[in-house]
Amino acid sequence: MKVSTHHFLPSLLVALWSWATVAQAATHTFNWTTGWGNYNVDGNFERPVITCNGEFPWPDLKVKRGDRIQVYLTNGFDDRNTSLHFHGLSQNGTNMMDGPEMITQCPIAPGDTMLYNFTIDDNDGTYWYHSHTGGQYQDGMKGTLVVEPEDSLPFDYDEEVVVQLAEWYYDNVDTLDRKFMNVYNPTGAEPIPQNLIINNTRNMTWNVEPDTTYLLRIVNTGGFVSQYFWIEDHDMTVVEVDGVYVEKNTTSMLYITVAQRYSVLIHTKNDTSKNYAIMQKFDDTMLDVIPNDLMLNATSYMMYDKDGEKPEQSYVDSIDDFLDDFYLTPLDKVELYEDPDYTITVDVVMDNLKNGVNYAFFNNLTFTAPKVPTLMTALSAGKDALNPLVYGTNTNAFVLKKDEIIEIVLNNNDTGKHPFHLHGHIFQLVDRERGYDDAIGEGPHPFDPEDHNPFPDYPMMRDTVYVNPQSSIVLRFKADNPGVWFFHCHIEWHLKQGLALLLIEAPEEMQNTESQQLTDNHKQVCENVGLSWEGNAAGNTNDFLDLVGQNVQVANIPDGFTAKGIVAMTFSCLAGVLGLISLSTYGLMGVKKSEEEIIRDLGMDPDAVEKVDVSDINSDEDSSRTSKNIE
Amino acid sequence: MAANKVFNVAVFFVVFRECLEAAVIVSVLLSFLKQSIGSNDMATYKRLRMHVWIGVVAGFIICMAIGGGFIGAYYRYENDIFGSAEDLWEGVFCIIATLMISVMGIAMLRVNKMQAKWRVKIAKAMLEVPKDRRKKWSLKYWATRYSMFLLPFITVLREGLEAVVFVAGAGITTKDSKATAYPLPVVIGLIAGIIVGTLLYYGTSKSSLQIFLVISTCVLYLIASGLFSRGVWYFDNYYFNKKTGGDASESGDGNGSYNILRTVYHVNCCNPELDNGWDIFNSLLGWQNTGYLSSILAYNLYWLVLMIVIGLMMYEERNGHLPFCKNLKLRQLKPSYYLKRKQNEELTAAEQEELFKQVNNLGVDEEGNVVVNKGDTTKVNVELVK
Repeated sequence: MKVSTHHFLPSLLVALWSWATVAQAATHTFNWTTGWGNYNVDGNFERPVITCNGEFPWPDLKVKRGDRIQVYLTNGFDDRNTSLHFHGLSQNGTNMMDGPEMITQCPIAPGDTMLYNFTIDDNDGTYWYHSHTGGQYQDGMKGTLVVEPEDSLPFDYDEEVVVQLAEWYYDNVDTLDRKFMNVYNPTGAEPIPQNLIINNTRNMTWNVEPDTTYLLRIVNTGGFVSQYFWIEDHDMTVVEVDGVYVEKNTTSMLYITVAQRYSVLIHTKNDTSKNYAIMQKFDDTMLDVIPNDLMLNATSYMMYDKDGEKPEQSYVDSIDDFLDDFYLTPLDKVELYEDPDYTITVDVVMDNLKNGVNYAFFNNLTFTAPKVPTLMTALSAGKDALNPLVYGTNTNAFVLKKDEIIEIVLNNNDTGKHPFHLHGHIFQLVDRERGYDDAIGEGPHPFDPEDHNPFPDYPMMRDTVYVNPQSSIVLRFKADNPGVWFFHCHIEWHLKQGLALLLIEAPEEMQNTESQQLTDNHKQVCENVGLSWEGNAAGNTNDFLDLVGQNVQVANIPDGFTAKGIVAMTFSCLAGVLGLISLSTYGLMGVKKSEEEIIRDLGMDPDAVEKVDVSDINSDEDSSRTSKNIE
Repeated sequence: MAANKVFNVAVFFVVFRECLEAAVIVSVLLSFLKQSIGSNDMATYKRLRMHVWIGVVAGFIICMAIGGGFIGAYYRYENDIFGSAEDLWEGVFCIIATLMISVMGIAMLRVNKMQAKWRVKIAKAMLEVPKDRRKKWSLKYWATRYSMFLLPFITVLREGLEAVVFVAGAGITTKDSKATAYPLPVVIGLIAGIIVGTLLYYGTSKSSLQIFLVISTCVLYLIASGLFSRGVWYFDNYYFNKKTGGDASESGDGNGSYNILRTVYHVNCCNPELDNGWDIFNSLLGWQNTGYLSSILAYNLYWLVLMIVIGLMMYEERNGHLPFCKNLKLRQLKPSYYLKRKQNEELTAAEQEELFKQVNNLGVDEEGNVVVNKGDTTKVNVELVK
């Protein structure tokens, strides 16, 4: 019996869970208060960061499967709300501990405390936690979480190292946000980071022992760019992605989007005379512009010889030879979920709304948070909870039935890559088409059910995957985890632009499950922030189908001429026509008059001239007449 | 863009307008010569007539050389000169061009007034006689001897340079315009100007000529109003592009390619800078597929101001002064009226009569210079011939 088969064998899982709690479950209690402090992350620039109990960085956690985590999160800010999400945990039966604000909980108001209290029953592997409130984790509110299995890991290693990758901005998110969601950023160009960081520093030194197998748990905790990761002259054997153990796969380079995790084994050399470069590289295709002073590579040092010379950066011939995670196979070989019961097809588009700001859309809807957290709507709506309408018309809400096989077909009409993350589940990636490059004139290629790559027998499973530019992905999962689960692009900028949808899974079962009921603490958090913990998306508790007053997106930009435009055009045409009429009138009626004037100027009697020469008034009359006068 | 590659409408009209004025001057000059000298001394008349034509041709050649160099240089160094501020410069040139067309355009409707003005000016110039005739090699002596060359030379040069400045400006105001867009409108403008000038000299049906001029002026002012609106539009676009860091220009026609907060209308097509055909509407009428509040207001205000000015001119022509101000005329509102101290040069009807009488008494002295016959110049006003 392998540890990693547990996810998909619920009965066995329950058995193990009870065994674990009885036998050796520990409870880890943390009291965390957010705040601001100054910290120099990359060695070049000190800036305000979000601290945990006054310290930075946030702690990296290590627990065992079956353990209970209790985080008392106190909002120590004075001007903003906060929240906390443990990324990748399935939170089965504890949906309200998942963390995204306005989805499973109310935002925590300044001064308020919320208890995140759950056991990690279904997951082991590499995870992380972060604020799920607008961009806060890009200001540093994040950390890694390693969950050890109850048994041994399905591979051998000597030592374990957690490697946290990210990008780093010198401006805080508030400043960047103002420029980002702005009429003067009409293309939605994401702010360009200043550096790539590793374990909250730059140019890290990692002292290694020779002939040793290291397990590197690599987590990209950034909010924007994907990174290439390689170590000079060292192969990496991938053994885990996003908490899913996979058949060993050796590669020289990884491509890690934000929120993805890779565990790799590295066996060190016997020779300690040389030190090697650990390389991170921006996926610069995601950057709107590449500033001249931006270092696309970041070098850290793998030191066999502590006192030896630090290595130069390592170059590679091609960055296209990275491991394609599509071809990984989960160790427990879950077969392809056949024939989905429900297929959700969504098209990704980036466009501007009437305020000129660039938004991201699923099927022409940009996610607009409801007035009541969706989980609380699901719990309070009774039978109406099965009607997606109660969750609002601007939230892309889909209601799923228990144990259905769900397929998400995601067509990316945008020209960028997007890493999509589903809360509460790992999913099978059954298809990912190649990217189509608009620079060479290729257009978007939506998924074609009649013509696609063959689906693998044992698809790779994880919780965050990227879709290629103008291309498509197809995901399948089993709706076996009642709850409200957020599905969104993990690029924090795009989440702000509304690239998200809601899956409301088996709401009636949630209503009837004791562990899913709101705690007093949850209700209190809502009350302290001035929100209701019941009602539909508009906050209506009487008629759940009445959405009057719900939050909706900014209006679309109208096509063609509006009333304003027609008025402007009419006036302009009128002005032009009137102007031409007055010009013509002046031009035609003035002629005679001015002739007379000139004749007078020349000292003659206009009447006399008229008599002499009426029929043949021509342009040089003045001169001819003058000469007549002389004669 | 196809149209702008070979024909720039604004260039055509400006060349036409300037050529017409030069033709008027030359025709006035020629008719003076014919009247005063042609009747007395045929040989001198022919010689002086030759001077006039040499002056015209010389002035024209110099203009073409300068103009060609100007435009060539602009297209060679275009990017270096304007760089990222291109929209700003386009706006500035649009406004300058508008002012130039607006000020000079209306005179086309009063081609007879234009003729009269030049008659007075030329008459004054011809009567200018150097006080001291002993300095044979002085500049002034030389200028007098070849006045029939210098007058048309300077005139053509002046009108020509005006056209050159404008043509260069008009080119800059048309985005992506090519140097190839100049020769054709310039040549056709010249031909049209010369034809109309010839018609003026030999005489043709006044009314049909006037209708032709009215239509030309209307087109000219349509262009001017469009240019004015475009100028303001470019300012808005410059501001937007500056704030967006040039992002918008990547977006083509679609959402985000313009500042929606200042937009009155926008259509995702018909972009004069990207779509074929619409650039003609742009250069003729100032069409933009994005209507900014500022550009629309500018367009309407331009016509409003023009109509007010025309109204004032019509009133002044009827009543001899501006409404409510008995002693005020339109030209007195122009700053140049005071700068050039024109009030000193204003002629009364009697003075003008005297002036023309003198011109008709022009003769040629023993050295072949144009002189005023002494016997008839008793009443010459010294101030006047200055």
